[in-house]
Amino acid sequence: MLDFVSKFTNKELKFYKLNNKYFLASPELDKCRLDNKEQYFGLFLGEDINDEFKPAFGLLDWLSKNSTEKIFVKDIGEMDFLYGKSLRSRHILRVEGETKIGFLKLVQNEHDENLGYGKITGDFTKTQQVLKPKLDRGLFLKREKKDKQLSSESKR
Amino acid sequence: MSFLTDRYKEMGGEVKFVHSKRCIRVNTKKISVEALKTRLEKKHIELEKVPFLKNAFFVKSKFNIVSSPEYLLGLFYIQDAASQIPGEVLNPKSLTLDMCAAPGSKTTQLCEKVPVVAVDSNKDRIIALENNLERLGIDNCIAYLLDAREVNKKFDYILLDAPCSGNYILEDGWLKKTTLKRIEERSYLQKELISKAISLLNKDGVLVYSTCSLEPEEDEFVIQFALENFNVKLEKIDCIGDNGLTKIFGKKLDPSMKYCKRLWPYKTNTIGFFVARLRKC
Repeated sequence: MLDFVSKFTNKELKFYKLNNKYFLASPELDKCRLDNKEQYFGLFLGEDINDEFKPAFGLLDWLSKNSTEKIFVKDIGEMDFLYGKSLRSRHILRVEGETKIGFLKLVQNEHDENLGYGKITGDFTKTQQVLKPKLDRGLFLKREKKDKQLSSESKR
Repeated sequence: MSFLTDRYKEMGGEVKFVHSKRCIRVNTKKISVEALKTRLEKKHIELEKVPFLKNAFFVKSKFNIVSSPEYLLGLFYIQDAASQIPGEVLNPKSLTLDMCAAPGSKTTQLCEKVPVVAVDSNKDRIIALENNLERLGIDNCIAYLLDAREVNKKFDYILLDAPCSGNYILEDGWLKKTTLKRIEERSYLQKELISKAISLLNKDGVLVYSTCSLEPEEDEFVIQFALENFNVKLEKIDCIGDNGLTKIFGKKLDPSMKYCKRLWPYKTNTIGFFVARLRKC
């Protein structure tokens, strides 16, 4: 996880690790734990799946307060990005930090709220497609659809 | 005609189908009520403040609000107005136990005020809880895949939104398939859960018990059981709905049962609901 964080900021992030999952929690919350094994603890930061770290939106929110590696998008870019589409030059309001191809950027809407992150794929001044999504909040819709299926199956 | 129809008449209610108005709760951990209102109205979503709730709106929209960026950003939660009442009635001031937490509508509501220990014994449903905690950016909840009857810590505030048989607004064909046996099975489990909840309460601690059932066996009879077997008293609730029943099916119940509230869908434009606030003496 720290490798991923270091691509955006050098600020320190203290975390708890429960099995393969990472969480950010206050010392006060730590005192509230039961004797049992936790399923979820504070803010979910991400998890290791097959030796690869998968960030969660809690971490992207934290990073967006602690990093300048951001792309700000217009309304139309916000919708397209949330539907898994690549960002184009016309979607962009402004860019902060690195602009080289291959770098990771946090994608923010005009309210500076994090929508996900992606990888720079083009020159912001020359090419049309500039960023390919790696993770976007549209994922919640897919998860909810899956949850509903599981729930109706368990009823049956 | 279902056997339930006659029962409802005896309770002073009736089976009348209504569409409960679509309702959202503002996630005040992320945005203020006014700021969200402004943003959604800009997108031509009609909002009407729910008069009996603090942070809720009835919504009308030409598109599905679930696909809006504001939903995906966790700025609001779609939650029936009745289902928001227990969280407001509990009004916790410190660490709270949510005993049957998944999928997390009430848990995330409580987390806006205090840290929450959330337990649920259903593996599939707890995945939905985790998903909601992540979407809403909740950072003060500890969730356990655990039967609430196995919790071993004391609390000042507990929410028991008990598993129940449901009501006719929630599910097509509910009246046809619901049996007295099913209601009694739920009632047995609810009595076990409320017993455990009271044992986990500190002295002067508050327990809010709720269900989305309109059946007295799952509502007033469970509270009567608690009043008869434990050192608890009912407290008045300031919310919409009819008073709890003090006499039903030939049984006379504790007079303080009137402090409970039962929400008939056709009277409140919500799902059917029951809520009670108990304090440990």
